Amino acid sequence: MTAAALLEVRDVHRDFGGVHALSGVTLQVARGRITGMIGPNGSGKTTLFQVVSGIDRGATGQVFLDGEPILGLRPSQIYQRGLARTFQLSRVFPQLTVLENLMVAGHRHDRAVRERAIGLLEKVGLREYSAVAGSDLSYGQQRLVEFLRVLMSDPALILLDEPAAGVNPTLRNTLWDMVRHLNGQGTTFFVIEHDMGVIADLCDDVYVLSEGQVIAHGDFETVRGNDTVLAAYFGKTAAHRGTEND
Amino acid sequence: MSLKSIAPGIVLALLAVAAPAMASDYQLLFLLQLLMMIALAQSWNLISGMTGYVSLGHTAFFGVGAYAGALLLQWGFPWWLAIFKGAGIALLVAAPLGVLTLRLRGPYFAIAMLGLNEIGRLVATLWVDLTQGGDGIPLSPARLPTLLQNYYTMLTLAVLATSLIAWVRYNRLGLELRAIREDEEAAEMVGVNTTRNKVIAFALSAVIPGAAGAVYAFYTSYIDPVSVFAPALNIQMIVMVLLGGSGTVWGPVIGAVLVRTLHELTWAQFPALHLALLGVLIVAIVLFLPKGILSLAPWRRRVRPDRAPGSP
Repeated sequence: MTAAALLEVRDVHRDFGGVHALSGVTLQVARGRITGMIGPNGSGKTTLFQVVSGIDRGATGQVFLDGEPILGLRPSQIYQRGLARTFQLSRVFPQLTVLENLMVAGHRHDRAVRERAIGLLEKVGLREYSAVAGSDLSYGQQRLVEFLRVLMSDPALILLDEPAAGVNPTLRNTLWDMVRHLNGQGTTFFVIEHDMGVIADLCDDVYVLSEGQVIAHGDFETVRGNDTVLAAYFGKTAAHRGTEND
Repeated sequence: MSLKSIAPGIVLALLAVAAPAMASDYQLLFLLQLLMMIALAQSWNLISGMTGYVSLGHTAFFGVGAYAGALLLQWGFPWWLAIFKGAGIALLVAAPLGVLTLRLRGPYFAIAMLGLNEIGRLVATLWVDLTQGGDGIPLSPARLPTLLQNYYTMLTLAVLATSLIAWVRYNRLGLELRAIREDEEAAEMVGVNTTRNKVIAFALSAVIPGAAGAVYAFYTSYIDPVSVFAPALNIQMIVMVLLGGSGTVWGPVIGAVLVRTLHELTWAQFPALHLALLGVLIVAIVLFLPKGILSLAPWRRRVRPDRAPGSP
């Protein structure tokens, strides 16, 4: 593991029956940077997040967080070690209030945690919704609350699984601004996103997954011109034509 | 919790303390049974209302407590110590069982608990040397507490069970239990140790039924496997909690008062009909009041947000 890597995934495999969802994935997320992960639908991106965050404990291989092995640990143990994540679809606690949604992610139940939660809500203009049930928020607001929830423990690494999907442009900008701000303060991000504009604008480097394998890695400009990547997204013929046109 | 929110409970408890001075023995027995159902409903509320893990066999702990209390009394222990030990034995049974069964989710957990109650009933029926099997255990009146002592003991259990729910509800444990109910995986992902919390809730939820089972054995002065490992008793707990409001502090109290009063008004005149009424009540709750009576209270109406800035 290189000194700069906060998260290292080594030769991780995950099979579901005869389907190889992950086939020897190896990658590193550098400390203090924003790393993107792209790939066609079904390429294994979310499965990798499930494995790394401990929700799926059926994988083989090795995963290190800050040099410590975490594969096989419970999600709550991994969270305590400084890794937090959001889900592909919003997972706010629907019957808990917005404030409770945040407070449950604090390690304690005291005034300091409450004030931190209120402070975070204030930053994004949701303080007045503290007493509102999670299910009564709009979808975009729910995604934002889910994002704020992972900030409650000041995690070193945050995994975001398509955080802006289904979110209106205003809230989306709020979200990405917060990501940039937190990254500036040292928080590391590992982001799955389909919006290539966001990936290009936000990420320092990008991994491309296809059929459970890393097929490319580098900065966005490098991977966007990669033939293997184009083939994975558009098929071999289209990729070839695209290369010719260039 | 503010003083204002617990004031109704204090008034109710004081009324219950004063009730024996005004009530006949028959009325006192009714109140005793009502208090027992409040205690049992609150216990079910702690595990099932808070976490969403529906237990169909919580009467197993009631049965264990009833047999423990009856046997200990027969073996010469004072009645109050038999109640403590009945609660303790229920706790000792529940803790390891919780570790095993709470790995199951949804209907699997519910069925496992139903099976546990059946196992309890079978053990009580077949272990004749200890339990006198289907003949049951008659208790000698000379060693039994008086009706008044049973009443105040049950009142204490009902108050303890309600206080426990209130304490849990407004503390970190309650918040985490409710998060488990909403989305266990997401709760685990924000650092909630779901297994530990569920086992704590499950073990605590067995203590009060254990003690209540022992008091039940004393005031009826006779127990048998069918009467204490009764699935119908479990159904009543569920109906009371759902009717009043699952996961709330006062819902089970309201539900218990309504169901027991309805039962009392109908059972003597319509012995078959009162069970049918219970069935109708279950259907009505599911259809019209899925969140219980307390959800109708104006101060519990959910705040509906206006659109947030930038919201579509």
